[in-house]
Amino acid sequence: MTLQQRLGRFITVSSADPDDARRRQLLNIFLALLGLIAVIAIVADVILWKAQEPEEALVILGGSLITLIGLGGLYWLNMRKSGALAASLFIVFLLLIFSISDTPQQIVDGRSLWVFVVPIILASGLLKSWSSFIVAAFSSGIILVLALGNNLFPNLVALFLYFAVAFISWIIASNLERALSEVRLINANLDKLVQERTQALVSALGRERAEASRSRAILESIADGVIVFDLRNKATHVNPALVRLLEIPEDRLSAITAEELARAPALDAKNRGILAGLLAASGQQISSYRIQWGKKTLSVSAAQVTDINGERIGTVAVFRDYTREAEIERMKNTFLAIVSHELRTPLNAILGYAEMLKEAIYGPVNEKQVRASDRILSNVRRLLDIVNDLLDQAQIEAGKMTIQMQPFRPAALLENVLEIMNKTATDKGLALTSELDPELPETLTGDPARLQQILINLTNNAIKFTDQGSVHIRLFRPNKKQWCIEVTDTGVGIPDDELPHIFEAFRQADSTLTRRHGGFGLGLTIVQQLANLMGGAVAVKSKIGVGSVFTVTLPLVVNPPSKRRTP
Amino acid sequence: MNELGLVVEDDMDLAIIFSEALQAAGFQVETARDGQTARNLLLTTEPKVVILDLHLPVVDGPSLFEQIRADPRLKETIVVVATADARLAEAYQDQADFVLVKPISFTQLRDLTQRLHRE
Repeated sequence: MTLQQRLGRFITVSSADPDDARRRQLLNIFLALLGLIAVIAIVADVILWKAQEPEEALVILGGSLITLIGLGGLYWLNMRKSGALAASLFIVFLLLIFSISDTPQQIVDGRSLWVFVVPIILASGLLKSWSSFIVAAFSSGIILVLALGNNLFPNLVALFLYFAVAFISWIIASNLERALSEVRLINANLDKLVQERTQALVSALGRERAEASRSRAILESIADGVIVFDLRNKATHVNPALVRLLEIPEDRLSAITAEELARAPALDAKNRGILAGLLAASGQQISSYRIQWGKKTLSVSAAQVTDINGERIGTVAVFRDYTREAEIERMKNTFLAIVSHELRTPLNAILGYAEMLKEAIYGPVNEKQVRASDRILSNVRRLLDIVNDLLDQAQIEAGKMTIQMQPFRPAALLENVLEIMNKTATDKGLALTSELDPELPETLTGDPARLQQILINLTNNAIKFTDQGSVHIRLFRPNKKQWCIEVTDTGVGIPDDELPHIFEAFRQADSTLTRRHGGFGLGLTIVQQLANLMGGAVAVKSKIGVGSVFTVTLPLVVNPPSKRRTP
Repeated sequence: MNELGLVVEDDMDLAIIFSEALQAAGFQVETARDGQTARNLLLTTEPKVVILDLHLPVVDGPSLFEQIRADPRLKETIVVVATADARLAEAYQDQADFVLVKPISFTQLRDLTQRLHRE
C-alpha cells in the first residue's frame, strides 16, 4: 500500500450518497490542514518558548491544543456520525475564531473584514451549495452586532459583497454538483452497459456450448456417415455411422486424409476418381454422387465448410447407404421392361385372335360377333397404349430415351396425326380441326417420331376430356427462334389447384374423371419429358367448363447441325 | 403350287396368328418354334418370305438372319423382322426388307405379305 493510498484511506468516508462522501472528504482535508497548522504552531511555540512572554506562550500552546482537540472531535464526528453536523460545527468554529481573533475595530471595517469570505466559500463546498447564503447572513450578523456593540459604523459595501461571494460560491458549487451528478449518471449507464454486454457474452458462450454439444449429439446419432476435413485435408471429425458404413476401424478413419480415403481398396479406379473429385470440390455448392464402395452403393455429398466471414476452413462429406434404394431402382427398371415385354406378347395374341375372328378366318361371323371383336380390339389397343406409355416412361427415367434429329416436314407430321386421330374424334362426335402457320419453314429438324408421340398424346388427352365441341391442333411460330405445338379443346377444364400437378406421373384431375375417362395419366408426363429432352417446355391454360390449351414450345432448328459444316 | 412362307416365332399363339396371316395372303406356311428347327428348314427349303422373331431359343434370330443373307440360294428371300424391342428394330431398319414392331396385327401382316405374294 503506497503512502498515497494510506493517506487516501485516512480521509475517505464511506457514504451511500456520493455528494455527502465528497463533502466529508473535503472537510477532512481542511481539518487535516488546520491540524497541521496547529501542530506547527505548538512546535514553534515550544521551540520559541524562551523568546516570548510566558503568559503569551501558554495561551498559544493552550489555544493550539484546544484547536487540535476540537479538530480531532470534528474528525471523529465527520467519520462516524454526521458530515453535515461536523461541517456546520467547523464553520461555526471558524466564525467564532474569526470573531474573537482581532479587535472589533479591525473586524467591522479593517483587515479582518475579508476573512469571513473563507467560511462563506467553504460552506458551499462542505454543506449544501446554498448554505453560503446562511453563512454570509451570519457573518453580516456578527459584523453588525460588533459594530452596534462598539459604536462603529459597519462597512455595508463589504456586507453586500459577502452575499455576492455567497452567490458566486453557490453558482460554482451547484454547477459542480450538477456536473458531478451527470458524470455519475454516465458512469452508471456505462456500468449497466458493460454488465449487459458481459451477460450477453456469457449467455452466448453458453448457447454456443449447448449448440456444439447438440451438434455433436446429432452427428453421433444420425444414420448418415459424416467426416470433416481441415484445410490440410486431414480428418478432424468422424461419426460412428461412417465407421460402420465404410467398415474402416475408427482409429484409422479418424486420422485419415481425404487422399487416403479416395484410395481405399474398396473402391475401383472409376469410383476413386469420383470420390477424389468430390472431396477436392471447390465452391460451396453441395454436390452429390453415387459411388460403389465394395458391395455397397453409397450416395456421397461434399461441401466446403466456411467460417462466419466466408473463409474456407475445411470440407465436410456425408455418406449415405444407398444400396437398398439402388437395388430397388434396378429392380423397378428390370421389372418394368420384363412386364412390358411379357404383357405385350399375350396382348399381341389377343389382338391377333380377335382380328382373325372378325376377319372370318375361322368361319362366318354375324354382326354381333363382329361388334364384340371390335370391342375386344379397342380394349386391347388401350391396354397396349398403357403398356407402351409405361415402357416409355421407364426408358425416359432410366435416361435411355434418345432423340434422333433428322429433317422432317411439319405439314406431313400434322397430316399423319390427323389421319391417326380422326376416327377417335369422329367416334365421339367431335370436330378435329388444324392450322399450319405459313411462317413455319417447309422443313424443320427434329425427331418426327417423338413429335408425333407428343401430338398424339395431347390430342388423345383432349378428345378424352371433351364431350362436345372440338379439338384444334395448331403448329405455329411465335418468334424467330421457336416453334409451337398447340392443342386446344372445349372440354371439362382443369381446376386451378390441380394445374401444377397434371404433369406428374399417375395423376388425373380427380378420381371420378379417371373412372369415366380411363387412362393412367402418363400421357402428359411423357409429353413433358419428351419436350424437355428436345430442349423445350410444355405449358397449360385451362378454365373449368370452357376448355384447356396445351402449348409445347420447342427450339426452331432449320438445318441439321451436320449439314451446316458442309461447304 | 403356292409359294412358301416361313414363320420363325417361339410364342405358340403368335406363331399361329402369323401363319394364319400368311395363309390368308396365299402362302403355304412352315412354322419353326426355335432357331435350330428354322436353321434346318432353311437348308432344305427356299421360302419366298421369312417372318423372323429375333428372340429365339437354341439359335437366336440375328444368326439366322446372317445365315439367310449368306446363302446364295436364299438371295430372293424377303426377310420380315418381327421384334418387340424398338432399339433392335431400329438396328435392322437398313438390313432387313421389312421391320415390324410388336404388337403386330393380323391384318397388318396379312396385307403386307399379300402384296409380297403378288409380286
